[in-house]
Amino acid sequence: MSGDDFEAQLSAYIDGELAAGPAEAVATHLRGCAACARAHERLLAVREALQASLPPLRAPEHLRMDLRRALRTAATTTVVRSMPDWRWLAAAAVLVAILVPATWSVATRRAAGQFLTGELLASHVRSLMGTHLTDVASSDQHTVKPWFNGKLDYSPPVSDFAGRGYPLLGGRLDYLAGRAVAVLVYGRRQHVINVFLWPAGGGPSGGSHAVTRQGYHMRHWTTSEYEYWVVSDLGEAELGEFAQLLSQADSAARPHASP
Amino acid sequence: MEPSQLARFEAATLPHLDAAYTLARHLTLNQHDADDVVQEAFLRALKYFGGYRGGDARAWLLAIVRNTSRSWLRRERGDAGVVEFDEALHSEAIDDQHPEAEVLRAVDRERVREAVDQLPLEFREVIVLRELQGLSYKEIGEISGIPVGTVMSRLSRARRRLEGALGAGKGGLP
Repeated sequence: MSGDDFEAQLSAYIDGELAAGPAEAVATHLRGCAACARAHERLLAVREALQASLPPLRAPEHLRMDLRRALRTAATTTVVRSMPDWRWLAAAAVLVAILVPATWSVATRRAAGQFLTGELLASHVRSLMGTHLTDVASSDQHTVKPWFNGKLDYSPPVSDFAGRGYPLLGGRLDYLAGRAVAVLVYGRRQHVINVFLWPAGGGPSGGSHAVTRQGYHMRHWTTSEYEYWVVSDLGEAELGEFAQLLSQADSAARPHASP
Repeated sequence: MEPSQLARFEAATLPHLDAAYTLARHLTLNQHDADDVVQEAFLRALKYFGGYRGGDARAWLLAIVRNTSRSWLRRERGDAGVVEFDEALHSEAIDDQHPEAEVLRAVDRERVREAVDQLPLEFREVIVLRELQGLSYKEIGEISGIPVGTVMSRLSRARRRLEGALGAGKGGLP
């Protein structure tokens, strides 16, 4: 065995990286060879010197904090692009420091929105599956509206659109977005439309926006008083028409409401 | 990215932050550069986390830290340490004397640190991973992207070189 090879073996030997056979051979050789025994000693001495002089380092606290902040920023802005130049990243970090509060709130609002539409959809599907489509089955708005009294801390406007082909089927209570909400149920031929409404949180009123999830269509809008979500498997056009009727009825019910 | 994904990433990697910092610190030889390299490496790791299929998170992370350090050195310093490492050539420069073990043990810490800092990057890398972080040859091979046999010869040469540097001028035996 050449000297170089034996040195490498010896080095692996002190690391415990040799298989049993070769390790045994090295040990045997060391017992009989003073020069190699000294080489072995020197290797151990170098190791000792290294370990005494170079303790493993601890990451500075500021790095730990900077890092977590940077990770959170990167995760919320979902950077999916090739690794940018560090200077670009530094510039981006400055921008991000300015924009993050806004981005973060948009991202969380979006996440919350997705969660809500999931809940709405689940409620809609549940209402079709079992026997719990309505708590009060009536096509009479004067029966349905008072039924909610005492069950909710608000009295939702209820209208029947049978004349327009969207008969009121009834109403029920559901639990959504952390509160009890009123659900009005309408029919359109064999389709069912669930209307979820609860008092608006005081945010700005907003026009209708449409969402499609798993083949179901949803419409959402906010009036000065109520947040409306409409869910159905009805075609988008008809659901839009229905949403229009509902929102007209809502403003008609509040003649003194500000525009 | 989902918040739960970030939490999973942090749980897998943050326990190895000190190891990442230790490696970056010894490869860049500068505290501020090490900070920057670690941050860049973690951001890269986050980006690649989708491709991480479990297993040894420390080795996975350290490989990214190692590669980030090298591209950092090349970019920021046009560093010669990263260019063309010739194992045999680098090994020849060894002062071919054999100091006594007692001499080696008595070398003061500052000189040991200097000797390590002056090792070629490739040698320093395996020394740090082995002696400071206690990684196996297999793990070192994964991190440095070299076969286990190369880990073995490289470590041996790095030690031989340190031995020469520490014993120099200390009256070791010829």
